[in-house]
Order: sequence, then C-alpha cells, then structure tokens
Amino acid sequence: MSALGGPKQTGGVQSPTGMGIAIGIVLIIVALVLAFFFAQMAGLIALVGIIIGGVLIGFGVHFVPVGGAPAAMGQAPGIATGVAMLAAGAGLAGLFGGAWAAPLGLPLALAGGAVGGGLLMAITCTMVNIIYVFGMGIPAASGKVAKDPITGDTFPEYKSQGTEGHGLPFISWVGGVIGGALGGLGGTLIYLELLDIYQAQLPTILDTTVEQIAPVAISLAGVFAVGMFLMNAVLAAYNITGTIEGPHDPKFKRFPRAVIAAAVASAVAGIFSIGLLELVGVF
Amino acid sequence: MSVKIEAGAGGGIPHNQLVIYGLVGSLVLIYLTYLNTITGTQYFAFFGGLAAVVALIWGTDTIKHLCSYGLGTGVPSAGMIALGSGVIAALFGATTGIAAPIVTIIIAAIIGAVAGVMANHVVRMDIPVMIISLTELAIVGAMTVLGLAAMACGTFEFIGMITGEISILGFAVETYEFSLIGGSIIAVIFMLGAIAIQHSFNACLGPGERQDRTLMLAAECGFLSMITVAIISFAFIGFIPALISLLVSVIGWIYTYTQYIALSKRDAYAWLDAQPILEPKGGA
Repeated sequence: MSALGGPKQTGGVQSPTGMGIAIGIVLIIVALVLAFFFAQMAGLIALVGIIIGGVLIGFGVHFVPVGGAPAAMGQAPGIATGVAMLAAGAGLAGLFGGAWAAPLGLPLALAGGAVGGGLLMAITCTMVNIIYVFGMGIPAASGKVAKDPITGDTFPEYKSQGTEGHGLPFISWVGGVIGGALGGLGGTLIYLELLDIYQAQLPTILDTTVEQIAPVAISLAGVFAVGMFLMNAVLAAYNITGTIEGPHDPKFKRFPRAVIAAAVASAVAGIFSIGLLELVGVF
Repeated sequence: MSVKIEAGAGGGIPHNQLVIYGLVGSLVLIYLTYLNTITGTQYFAFFGGLAAVVALIWGTDTIKHLCSYGLGTGVPSAGMIALGSGVIAALFGATTGIAAPIVTIIIAAIIGAVAGVMANHVVRMDIPVMIISLTELAIVGAMTVLGLAAMACGTFEFIGMITGEISILGFAVETYEFSLIGGSIIAVIFMLGAIAIQHSFNACLGPGERQDRTLMLAAECGFLSMITVAIISFAFIGFIPALISLLVSVIGWIYTYTQYIALSKRDAYAWLDAQPILEPKGGA
C-alpha cells in the first residue's frame, strides 16, 4: 500500500489483490479515453471531477461515527444507524446546499455543498448526544482510545463493563462534521460536472434554449449524483464493515482501499452518465 | 468474514430459478408497456409497475443470499447500492428506444459487476457470491426504476420521459418542465424503489424466516410503491389509463397484504411451539 501513498496497514487488514488493482486501473483509463471520445476536453475534465467527487465521498464516509444497532442499545459509540443512511442524509443535504448555490459559481457552490453536509452532521451529532446524555443517561466514552485526541478527556473511568464504549465523544463529533462536509463537497462536485455536460449538450440535441431544458438537466444531474453518492458510500461502508468511531478508530486506516474502489466505481458510473446523451435519437 | 449463516428454514424456490423468473418476467412485462406505442393508447402503462414488482421479488431473494454472509453494514446498504447503480443504467438504457430494457440490463450488469469486483478484490470483502449478487442487484434496481418510470409516463423511452404536455388557455403546449425527469419524479421513483427493495428482508430476517413470507412482503412493498406511482401517473397519462393502473396496484396490494398477514400468522403459530387449547366437547 505504501506505493499508493497510503499509511501503513494495520496487521489484520488485507491489502487489495493485484487483480483488483489491475482491473481498476484499466477501467479508469478506458473511462477517461471514452470521456474524451464523447465530449473531448469537457468530458475528460467532467470525468476527472466525478472521480475526485467519488473519492471525497468514499474518504469522507470513514470520518462519520457510525454506531449501528449496538449504539442504539448504548453498547457502542456513534450514531445509531447504518453507514448508508447517514451518508445518504449528509450527501443529500450537501447536494441541496450545493444545487441552491450552483448559479453563484463553482467555488461558492462547492462551499455550499460542504456546509450543507457538515451542518446536517453537526445537528445530527449534537442531537444524538443530547438523547444519549439526557434521554438514556449515558456518558460519552470511546472504546478504542483512552484519551480524546482533541479535548484530552479520559475515557476508561466512564466506560461501562461489557461495552465497546458509548455516547458520542467530541472527536467523533468533529469526525462527523468533517465527513459530512467532505461528502457534501464530493456530491456537489459530481452534480456540477454533470450539470455542465447536460446544459451544453441537451439544447443542441433537442434544439431548444438552455432555460427551457434546465429542469431536465438539473434533475438528471441530481439523480445521477445521488446514485453515485450511494454507490460510493456503500462501498466505503463495506470497507468499514459495521461500526466506526471516527478518525481515531483503527479501522480508519483502511481508507485507501475505499478510495481506490470509489475512484473505479465513479469512473464507470460516470462514463455512462457523461455518455448518456450520445445515443438519443440514434435509435 | 465469509462464514455463511443460512437464514431461515430452507426450502422454497431455489435462487437460480427465481433469477430466471425475475429476469424474464420483468423483461417481458416491461416490453408489454410498448403496446402503448403500438396501439397508440396508454392503457398498458401498469405493466411497468408489475415488472418492478417481479424484479423486487427477485432482488429480495438476492439480498437474502448476500446478507446471509454477514455484511456488517445492515441490509439497507445492499438496497441502496442496487438502486444507486440501477438508476444510472436505467436512464442510460432509456435513451436507446425500443432496445431500452435489454440495454438497461447489460449496462446494469457492467456497473454491478465493477462494484462487485471492487467490493471483493479491493475492499476485500471476500464473499463468494458478492460479484454475482451486486450484478443481480444492479439489474434489479435498473428494472425497478425503468418499470416504475414506464408506469408513470406510459413509455420507457427517454424522449417520452423528458417531454410533457401542459394546456395553456386550451392549447396543448409541449414542455420539458412537466415531465417525468423535468419534474424530478425520477428521484421519487428512485426512493420508492429503494425503500421497497430494502425493507422486506430487513423486516423478516432472523430465525424462522421463511422464503414465501419474505417474498410476499417484497411483492406487497412493490405494490405499495406502485400505488404511489399510479397516483403520480395521473399527471402524465390519461385519466382512464391512470385509473386502471391505480386499480391494478390497489387490488395487488390488498391481495399480497392479506396473504402476508396470513403467512405471518402461520409462522408465528409455528414458532410458538404451543398448540391451541381445544374446548372439550360438552363444556368443561
């Protein structure tokens, strides 16, 4: 893994197979060539943007403190639901923010997406902790580290026997917000790249103006961004296998695998999205 | 990781048989909506919804197969990746006119297989059925989206999905805004399909899970999504065709719901390991 720039893997983590890496590289190259063939430089730039967006999503999911069913019973730290649900929530909130800011230009739209996703996770994490502390009466204690890396709070005294920790420590809160922001940023990037492609192609194919075609272009870009977001989020979830506490969790070091998987999956899904309009009117 | 825990009491229809039923069934049913184009009417739109129901039944059995290996991420994640890759394949396929359903299946298989290879060889899930399951799930997701979309607007062709008619001062005007995709109804269909595919096995899993009960719930969820799409379709197709769609979905839902409740009672009774106390003849 060191050849790919990732951190050293922990003992139990298996690195990707040679076949997997080879297939991935071939698929990305084929997708890039096809993108250039479909829409020249614009297509190439769009596909690179989609791949970066997918990687940001796959990476961002690892920051989100996912507790799953054990967290619902106060036996593990994190938010008491699955990765796919949390990622979908943060991603959609980010997309709304980004899509709203889309006419204001790329930087503002991306910032809007990141703030949207981060804000949703911030609210979720805060409310989760309020329910844990005041509703269930359990303190926040991580099971993976003895001390919070940011606040320096110690955990072992507060951790109940037989649990992996409980509640939502501050480091997990910070991780959730970073994860939401990265997810929102990635989703918005995919949306904006696809929107550019469709707004350029649809008016010439259908012989209309950009304003008339806007609802179709926005809707197509939006639903594809959601689709790719969920694909990448689920692949990242498979990488995490279950629960993760946030950036301090040992499982976080697995992220290079999800980054590769997300890049390849986004490239393949992206090329079909970019090539969508190539066949309109052919049949 | 790859220790298989067989959920349920076994028996029932073998998975491979269900794959063939699901694939052929949904393909034929989707093509039946093409009767709309041939006859110039819209009465056959409801076949799209039935195609989605058949695909959902197949998908539920696939999810059951995949999740019996213990993904650790919950059953809904499988439904999410199914629809996420399916919606891309369905819309790409829709642009190919009459070949749409077949192209959709091919594209979905490609996207699903790539996701499966990534999951097994890069993320290292090392689950034997991962690649084939994600391929099947992508096809299921694509057929569900295409079927429900065809039900809502009466055609599975892209141009039909992005154009709609609105009457201004008595004149019918073609517009892109009042269409299936222009109105973002496709996003609603996406979520309706995702909820339908991820619910059934999630609700029925555990010891005592029986295939007929789970698949009946899948059909029930499919018809429930069909009811919503039938109501949406009033905006895009004629009143009578939409009413037919609504009637078909409501009748289908009532039938599957009562069947599901009956099967649940059967399994609850079997699980109790207790026999009802019979009243002795002639009074106690």
